[in-house]
Amino acid sequence: MREYIIRRLLQVIPTVLLITLVVFAMMQAIPGDPLMALLGDAYDEEDAQLLRQEYGLDKPIISQYFIWLGKLVQGDWGESFISGRPVLQDVLIRLPVTAELIVLAMLVALLIAIPAGTIAALRQNTWGDYTAMSTALMGISIPDFFLGILLLLVFSVSFNGLLPSSGWVYLPGTCPSLICEASVWGNLKHVMMPAIALGVGRAAILTRLLRASLLEIIRMEYVTTARAKGLTEKLVILKHALKNALIPTVTIMGLQVGFMIGGAIVVETLFAIPGLGTYGINAIILRDYQQVQGFILLVAVCFVVVNVWVDLTYSLLDPRIRYNA
Amino acid sequence: MKLQVLNGATNGSAATAVIEPEAPVGRAGVPSESLLAQTARRLKRSYTALFGLGIVVLLVLVAIFADVLAPYDPVVNSMNEMFQAPNRTHWLGTDQFGRDMLSRIIHGSRVSLAVGLSSVLLAIFVGVPLGIIGGFYGGKADTLIMRAMDLILAFPVFLLAIIIMIMFTPTAGLLGAMKVIMAIGIVRIPIYARLVRGSVLSIKEKEYVEACHALGQHDPKILLRHILPNCMAPIIVTGTLSIATAIIVEASLSFLGLGTQPPTPSWGWDLKANVAWIQQTPWLALGPGFAIFITVLGFNLFGDGLRDALDPRLK
Amino acid sequence: MRNAHVLIRSFTILTLAVLLPGLVLAAEPKRGGTLRVAYGNKVSHLDFHTAPGYEMMWVAMNIGCGLVNITPDGQFVGDAATAWKLSDDALTWTFKLRDDAFFHDNTQVDAEAVKFSIDRIMDPETKSGMRRFYESVQSVEVVDPLTVKVHMKQPYAFFLHMLAGYRTGLVLYSPAATQAHSLKARKRGDPSAVIGCGPFRLVEWVPNNHLVMDRWEKYFKPGQPYVDRVLIRVIRDPIAQMVAFKTGEIDFIASFSPEHVQTIQAQVPEAQVLTGPETTPMVLRGKVTVPCDGKPDASMTNPRCPHPIFGDIRTRKALLCYGIDREEIVKVALRGLATPWVGMIPPGTMDTVDVNYMCPYDPDKAKTLLEELGYGPDNPLVTELTTDTEKAVFNAIATVVKDQLARLGVTVNIKLVDKVTWMNTGLKDGPWDMDVEDLLSLLTLDSNAYLTVTQSTWNQTRQTDVTVDEYFARYATEMDADKRRAIAKEFQEFMADKLYWNVVSGSPFFQIAQPWMKGYTFNSEFEVHYETVWLDR
Repeated sequence: MREYIIRRLLQVIPTVLLITLVVFAMMQAIPGDPLMALLGDAYDEEDAQLLRQEYGLDKPIISQYFIWLGKLVQGDWGESFISGRPVLQDVLIRLPVTAELIVLAMLVALLIAIPAGTIAALRQNTWGDYTAMSTALMGISIPDFFLGILLLLVFSVSFNGLLPSSGWVYLPGTCPSLICEASVWGNLKHVMMPAIALGVGRAAILTRLLRASLLEIIRMEYVTTARAKGLTEKLVILKHALKNALIPTVTIMGLQVGFMIGGAIVVETLFAIPGLGTYGINAIILRDYQQVQGFILLVAVCFVVVNVWVDLTYSLLDPRIRYNA
Repeated sequence: MKLQVLNGATNGSAATAVIEPEAPVGRAGVPSESLLAQTARRLKRSYTALFGLGIVVLLVLVAIFADVLAPYDPVVNSMNEMFQAPNRTHWLGTDQFGRDMLSRIIHGSRVSLAVGLSSVLLAIFVGVPLGIIGGFYGGKADTLIMRAMDLILAFPVFLLAIIIMIMFTPTAGLLGAMKVIMAIGIVRIPIYARLVRGSVLSIKEKEYVEACHALGQHDPKILLRHILPNCMAPIIVTGTLSIATAIIVEASLSFLGLGTQPPTPSWGWDLKANVAWIQQTPWLALGPGFAIFITVLGFNLFGDGLRDALDPRLK
Repeated sequence: MRNAHVLIRSFTILTLAVLLPGLVLAAEPKRGGTLRVAYGNKVSHLDFHTAPGYEMMWVAMNIGCGLVNITPDGQFVGDAATAWKLSDDALTWTFKLRDDAFFHDNTQVDAEAVKFSIDRIMDPETKSGMRRFYESVQSVEVVDPLTVKVHMKQPYAFFLHMLAGYRTGLVLYSPAATQAHSLKARKRGDPSAVIGCGPFRLVEWVPNNHLVMDRWEKYFKPGQPYVDRVLIRVIRDPIAQMVAFKTGEIDFIASFSPEHVQTIQAQVPEAQVLTGPETTPMVLRGKVTVPCDGKPDASMTNPRCPHPIFGDIRTRKALLCYGIDREEIVKVALRGLATPWVGMIPPGTMDTVDVNYMCPYDPDKAKTLLEELGYGPDNPLVTELTTDTEKAVFNAIATVVKDQLARLGVTVNIKLVDKVTWMNTGLKDGPWDMDVEDLLSLLTLDSNAYLTVTQSTWNQTRQTDVTVDEYFARYATEMDADKRRAIAKEFQEFMADKLYWNVVSGSPFFQIAQPWMKGYTFNSEFEVHYETVWLDR
């Protein structure tokens, strides 16, 4: 088993490298010259030529990639062509913002899913169950940006700026720059709508999953045994069934991280949040290769590690999974 | 199995975990009733599934007969009728160019449905053969295919679709829609490849395939006659639910300006374009938004029903 | 059109009505506070001599100082220079510098610094976008610490305009700080590397997010700046800008989308809406030539052939001149807030003339021309219109144009791309038929030169008529203002006739200020200065 874990973790490295190589090649295949974005209205073909040499953009893709990789090994994530800023520093500033958004979205998801899923399972085939399940299905069916727009419409437009429609206030102590607003309340106000927009879809998936797991466990014998011991029905559910049902649920949540990174791009764009998602999409659109590489590297590492973690948790839970796969 | 179907329904960023499919195997030897008849019988009992099917059929009809149904041309501007509130002549109002919003939504169904259906079909047509080849022949081909699939899966799906779309350069019209179909289709290939490979692996061990070998049947024949029908059920279920996801991804791409480009009516783009006027004319953004929502809901309802009908254990 | 004019005029009056009391009251401005500004776009980097974009320029003007500035009515006022003189042969400019101007590293702004800065811009190694405007400059001579002479190769009528308001204008850099720090440090905005002599010094820049500048204690204009700090936030979306403005989170929107001006007025009636005559052209161009061998050739060294559609002037006349209804475009896409315009430079640019009579909307005439060219129901003209997503209004204009040309039986396919792709197509001689953009604001007709002369990278239509180059040369070297005006008129008529460059309207520029923001002088995109601003709250 330990050997398996180590092997899985080692497998992460080539996967991540391969991803960065593929993205590097894809970025170069995108029509458009990063120097256009750099020089903008000052663009001049001669200047561009000089800069191309300076940045090594005239070299073949593969050698450009290995130059990047060589620096990466030394801990240098490169610098943005356009702003000249170190990529590592910038992604690290933005990571906590997106991480907070995703964590809170998950929290929203759990806060909705646990009661809804439990009620649905306990009251299987009653109106409570049907209501919870149809609401969940609607939650799955609503695109998160549309939900975000609906929230904006209600809380920012109709209620006259009750919640801010854009921007970010950092949590105290996490402010990455000299000057920035930092307050818990301000942060909460800014993160609330995006987290709900991102979390509701996940809540819906988890509700369905939790209900299914609970039903399965409730049917199982040991719950009956526990009941025989004289515990109230409620306690049975909470103590045994829910605890066991939560394990796969939480595992599935891990799987949702990848989706949420994608969702964060849209939600951050909608709410103008200075997170990784907006960083990535801007970098891609401006062809800032170094920034794109840094962004993809970070996302790929997070994503692959989460996947491996889920994989391992699952293999612990489900003996049918072969370790030597 | 649950794991994959669930992800199919939502994002496809499935785990790298390999879970043995169990569903189709058990039934393989006892084809008492045709799959179609069985499904139909079970579907009939589920009102929600029928409701979903109703929505889907209605949408398909709307898309096919858009030209007849839409009261106005969705792309012709009417400069004297800009930004009208919903009224008797324009039920959902008009946009910045005086275009009838209802007509745009009716025509927008074409892009959404076309992208939803075609991208899933593309993913199936590429993914299924890859899965069969990998599972049946094993060895180097299998390793190569599965590593490639892992690579695609190691990305957040939506991010990959974004990069592919920027690489393709989004455009309008049929070509534009085809690019979106490609982008969404490519990122979803691994779902089917893995699904089918798993099925193939377990069926391959079955004695009757070996028996076929012994009888001198050629590989392709075995594949087509015995293996494919056995993984049809999960493919159909996952496919239906995937259409819902594909429609959301298409709308999200359009929302970022990376989907089908205007003036081709597209719900995602119309939503994005009209969010700019949300303070004065919120109905313009709400129309396309709810159109996306209802369509996705329809496919999800139907997909859920299909899953229950085809294989109750998947529930 | 009448409506548009009335609207523009009322805005102008409103602007003046708002500004005049502001200027009167400016006699006793209040000190202190933070001015919170929203920019709709990010600052790309902070090496002012090479960075692109308005947002960077509006930072550069406040961190940097120059020799002269220009007022809204076209007068030059001293910045670090107190007096200037042009020799009789128009070949030598002499600038006298003030003795109390200091860079933010406490070194004095002297003749050496002026020479250093101009030399730096002119050095091809710097790759400055301003270099092209210094082509008439021979050399810079330090006469004494406070006197500097600029020797010209040939007379250049717009030298002061250029120093004041082309792109950033001249931004002086501290030689000591510039040499001590790397270009990278300056680009990424290390405060010790970005050393100017303007009213504010850089404190912090977080790309795509915010920029902070603090009051420079030793600024040479007495009492200025009035605010202690300027906080610039990047808020891209006009709706978000509006919400932030409405809730009082920001004091000033430096550039506001024209489509939403009516909304913000309705939402915040007390807001000051600042605007003036348009100084940026909204262009709808047709590509004039293509490489004969089909290989893109931005330097145009290989033979050029006429573009298959727009290479013929009759097509340009039919589609770009008579075939489009400029008033309708303005009404629908620009919500009536711009002036329909045919001339190559917009209504607010110096020496502009109204040549709208040359291209009246005349679909019948357009149809006749198209028939003459052999286009008709049997041989329909199908063409592509490229535009970018930077501003929603471009696509709106394209949509209206598509509709108008459809009335002539012409099919227009709109190709909407991101800004980088659009630039790539245009600047690298890629294939395109028509495009819509608003390019850059033009202080003078001369500042349009690099967008139109035959050999420029920015000559995106790839027109090859050297008459254009001659006009620009004559205009730039003519030192007599009246004669210059005459050349300008002739030139604008020539361009409206040849349609190498075609305008549909001006591109209006709006700034929105809170009622308590006082002392700001609106001068289009050219001068955005915060040192005179004070907060009355």
